[in-house]
Amino acid sequence: MKILVTVKRVPDPEQKVKFKGTSVDVSAANWVINAFDEYAIEAALRLNENAATGEKLGETIALSIGPKDVSQQLRSALAMGADRAILVGGADEELDSFAVARIVKAVVEREKPDLLLMGKLATDGEASQVPQLCAALLDWPQATFAAQITANAEGLEVKREVDTGIEVKQVKLPAVVSVDLRIISPTAVVNGKTPATHAYQEGPRYASLKGIMAAKKKEIKEISLADLGVKAAPVTKLVSAEPPAGRKAGVKVKDVAELVSKLKNEAKVL
Amino acid sequence: MDLALSADEEELRRGARRVLGERSGAKQVRAAMAREDGHDAELWRLCARELGWAGLAIGEAQGGVGMGGVALAAVLEECGRALACVPLLPTVMAATLLDVAGTAAQRAEWLPALAEGAAIGAAAVADTGGAWDVAGVGVSARLENGAWVLSGRKAGVVAGHLADVLVVAARVGKGVDLFVVPGAAPGVERRVMPTLDATRRIAEVTLNQVRLPASARLGDAGEGEAGAALERALDIVGAALAAEQLGGAERCLELSVEYAKVRVQFGRAIGSFQAIKHRCADMLVAVEAARSAAYWAGWAASHAPAELLHAGPLAMATASETFFDVAAETIQVHGGIGFTWEHEAHLYFKRARASAALLGDASWQRERLARRLGLGGQ
Repeated sequence: MKILVTVKRVPDPEQKVKFKGTSVDVSAANWVINAFDEYAIEAALRLNENAATGEKLGETIALSIGPKDVSQQLRSALAMGADRAILVGGADEELDSFAVARIVKAVVEREKPDLLLMGKLATDGEASQVPQLCAALLDWPQATFAAQITANAEGLEVKREVDTGIEVKQVKLPAVVSVDLRIISPTAVVNGKTPATHAYQEGPRYASLKGIMAAKKKEIKEISLADLGVKAAPVTKLVSAEPPAGRKAGVKVKDVAELVSKLKNEAKVL
Repeated sequence: MDLALSADEEELRRGARRVLGERSGAKQVRAAMAREDGHDAELWRLCARELGWAGLAIGEAQGGVGMGGVALAAVLEECGRALACVPLLPTVMAATLLDVAGTAAQRAEWLPALAEGAAIGAAAVADTGGAWDVAGVGVSARLENGAWVLSGRKAGVVAGHLADVLVVAARVGKGVDLFVVPGAAPGVERRVMPTLDATRRIAEVTLNQVRLPASARLGDAGEGEAGAALERALDIVGAALAAEQLGGAERCLELSVEYAKVRVQFGRAIGSFQAIKHRCADMLVAVEAARSAAYWAGWAASHAPAELLHAGPLAMATASETFFDVAAETIQVHGGIGFTWEHEAHLYFKRARASAALLGDASWQRERLARRLGLGGQ
C-alpha cells in the first residue's frame, strides 16, 4: 500500500531545555526525529515489506514541514528504508497544529496515499492534535494510539490500549492511524505477507550502511506552501514559556512519631 | 582538507552512538567481559552483518561501501566510547593488510566475507604482539612441493581466537611476507591469553607446520618483500586505532566532568576547585588535539597517502598518550570510587594501557615519524 508518514523534527529530549526570556531557546538544539514519528516510519516499513524475502509491497513516503535543515531528519527516514521524501518549506513559529494539519491534507490530496501514518504526538509540544485534525479535515476514518496494526481484506484492524483494556477498531482505507510506543514491539505489525513467526527486533530499525548510501540517491522533493496553495495562518499564539518551579528541599523528621503526626495533621492523609 | 563530518558520516556516527548506547551499555560490556572469549556475538552480528560496519573502508568492488577513513574513524570513535566488545578493529586490521598487500584476485577472494561481516579477521604481525615491525617477525615460512609451510608462535593476536581469517607475517629468507591463514586450517592452535584489558581479548596462535597453497602468500612481488606494505598498512590501521582511543578518552573526560559537577566535598562541588578544574581543562585540550590528529590520519588514509606518512604515526602517538593520561586522570578525579571494580574508570584505564601497546608505543611511533621527517634515527 502507499503510505505517507509524517516526520517532525524536535529538540533532542536528552538535552536540557533552555529558555530565553519567555520562550524556549532552540538556537543550540540538537534536532532529532520525534520518537513517535520514528515508530510510525518503522510501522510503515513493516507494513510494506515481506521481512522474510525482502520483497517490497508498497511505497513509503516521508513528509516533513519546516526549514531546509529538516532534510537531515528526512535523510534519516530514507536511510531507514523510506522510498522518497517530501519537504514542505515553512517557518517553525508559524506551524501550529491546525496549520500543520491543513498542510498535510494538501499533500495527501496530491499524493493520494492509502494510509496516513503518524506518531501519536510530538515530544516537544505534546499536543497530540494533528492526526485527529487531519482525519477531520480529510473526512477519513481514524484509529489513534495504535499499539498493533493488522492488515486485512477490509483495511486495517487496529488495537489500542485504553484504561479498561484493549480496544479493537477496524478502519477502511484510506485512513489516518497514529501510533503509540508499543507499535515497535517485535510482532505488533502484521501485514499478511511477512510470516507470522517472524519477530522484529524491538524498536525502530537502525540505518544500515547500505541504507545510508542508498538514501543519498533517493529524492527529497521540496515544495513551498504557495505551491500547495496553503497559508500557514496559525490560530494559536505562544504567549510565554517558562521552566517548572524547582523542587523544594524536603523536611527531615526526628522519628516515626513526628512523621505520623505530620502525615495526620499537616498532610492530612491519615 | 575538510575534517568536518559529511551528512552521511554524521548520520552514521549518530546511528552508531544509538546502537551502542542501546546495545553496549555497562551491563552488556561486563557480560561480554565475563565470557571466556570476551565476545558479544549478538552485537557483532548486528554491527557487522546487518549494519555493515566492517565494510566501511573496503571498496564497493570488494563488497564494502568505500566510505573511507573518516567514516571508519567516526564509527570506531563510538566503539571506543562504548568499549564495545566486538572484533571490528582486528577485522579492519586483517582487511587492511589484504587490501594493501594482496593481488586483485586475493582481494576478491577474501575481502567480501570480511566486508559483509560473514567472517572475523585478525592480524598476527609481531611474534609477541605490539609494533608492526619486520624485526619482530620470527615465524617462518618455507616452500615445500609448491605449498607454503608456516611454523612458529604468535602471541598477543587481537581476536586471534575468534578469527575466521588470520593474516600472518612470516619470515621468508631474509625478508618478511604476509600469508592468509584460515582460522580452521589444520595445525593452527589458538588459546585465549590472560589480558589486562578484559574488554578486548588477545590470543596466542601456534602454527604447527601449517600447509597453505602457494596463493596464500599476499601479493606477487618478490619473496620477502612485504615490509613496505606492512608499513603502509600500519599507518592506515593506526588511524583507525587512534579514533577508537579518542572515543575512549572523550568518554573519560565526560565521566570526569559529570562527576566533578555532582560530587560535593567541603560543602562545594569538587569541580569548583581549581585542582579539579585545571585537570579537566588539560584533559579537554589533550582530547581535542587527539581528535585533530586521529581525523587527519583517517582522512589521509583514504585521500592523501603522502600525508599519511606523517599523520599515521602522529595520530598513534598522540591518541595513545592522550587516552592513557586522560584515563589515569579520570581515576584521580573520581577519588575512591574510581578505584572500585564496579566503576567503569578502570575499564577505560586498562583499555588505554593495552591499546597504547597494540601497534607500537608512542615513542616508537615518534621515532618512525622522525625518520620520515629526516630527523635521524635508524
